Amino acid sequence: MRLIRDLRHILIVLAVLVIGGAGGQFLRTAMIPESFGRQGPYRADALVTIASQKSRFPSAEKCHKCHEDVREEREETLHAGVACVHCHGLGEKHIAEAEAIAKSENAEGTVTPAEPWDGQFPSTIDLFISQDRKTCLVCHESVVGMPEDFRKIDVAAHLDEQGADDPDSPDTCFECHGNHDTAP
Amino acid sequence: MRQIDAKTGCDSDACSCDSTESDENTRRQFLRSARTVTLGAISLTVLPSTLASETTPSSNDAGEPENGKESTPLYGFLVDTSTCIGAGKCLTACRVENNVPEGQYRTWVERYIHFKDGRIQVDQVPESGYAGSDVEKVDEDLVERAYFVPKLCNHCEDAPCNQVCPTHASITSPEGVELVDPDLCIGCAYCVQACPYGVRFVNHETGNADKCTWCYHRIMREEQPACVEACPVDARVFGRLDDPESEINKRLATVPTHVLKEHLGTHPKLHYIGISKEVT
Repeated sequence: MRLIRDLRHILIVLAVLVIGGAGGQFLRTAMIPESFGRQGPYRADALVTIASQKSRFPSAEKCHKCHEDVREEREETLHAGVACVHCHGLGEKHIAEAEAIAKSENAEGTVTPAEPWDGQFPSTIDLFISQDRKTCLVCHESVVGMPEDFRKIDVAAHLDEQGADDPDSPDTCFECHGNHDTAP
Repeated sequence: MRQIDAKTGCDSDACSCDSTESDENTRRQFLRSARTVTLGAISLTVLPSTLASETTPSSNDAGEPENGKESTPLYGFLVDTSTCIGAGKCLTACRVENNVPEGQYRTWVERYIHFKDGRIQVDQVPESGYAGSDVEKVDEDLVERAYFVPKLCNHCEDAPCNQVCPTHASITSPEGVELVDPDLCIGCAYCVQACPYGVRFVNHETGNADKCTWCYHRIMREEQPACVEACPVDARVFGRLDDPESEINKRLATVPTHVLKEHLGTHPKLHYIGISKEVT
């Protein structure tokens, strides 16, 4: 009789432990995200998600794959380090088309040509050619804080000095300085 | 217990010593067996999880490339304020690359103007540069010295933002990059308050904590972060701290550099050239 009574107690304790353990294990798996703790105290899959984001800003090397002539034109100039994007836009559609053509069998096709610039940073136009002095002045207009040796200009004084025909024309800089092979 | 039992056994003859003893014995036996069962049950439930947690790190070690491949890189960032021209190209690049909402910044550029009379003015570079902006011109004759300071996440070794996250959404990646898990972040902004450099914010569009990731998606493809790619004067240098031949390590070894708020002991991996002590 005693043994049976004791056994009942032991069984109750066992049952509580087993049910509690199983419940705890269930909660654990249900509440801790998969891949948590695989690499550290975080969800390892999050790194994969974050790393899968699309790269948008194209490097100059990407553009130079096709535009080799521009690379040659620019490589000796002070503007060699200026990204193509600043004067031409992201060109996402343009690059995607070019890459599709490069992969295709006969490597033929046309890419969307550049449009005029809308004067915005960032621009909504995919690919543009900005023959606009604002593109130059965004870096070169003299501002307090620039390094001593950086080539900065006071536009009005400079144009007056050089005797510009039309000081307000967007083309002003390009008349004397060119674009890719910018003369100083 | 025994002494008392012996006493009770001898005090009264009428008392049945035998039954007391057998009672004691069964109770003792019961307690003994109960102890064994309890310990057994506890070890059964606890041991597997302990074993599991012990095996996890070792399996992680095995997961790292050991077969002659490159080890996990450790990245660092260097900003040369002596060349920054405040064109704001990095700001646009970051916004476009990471789809940051208008009015919020993962990176920004401050201008420090030290006037001759001892005053210091700090303002922020407009996103499309100073040309055509409505920023008031500063009289150059009054200025002692002035420079631009690009700011971004310091990716601290001991990141306070990471420590306070209640949902483990704040991640230090194996490459030493501080990231936010978009699925686990609840947007409580605790990390926003914890960051001593003010680089975190709650994204208006996603509702999550947002911050500079050093363009994690780009660097994992061996590309440069967008702001580095965009900088026309190479004021931003990004590279591997674990590679002695990298550009950043060569610069760090030859030029005096500073980190922001060094006294906080956060050990930032973002270094600066040419800043004065007023920059924080």
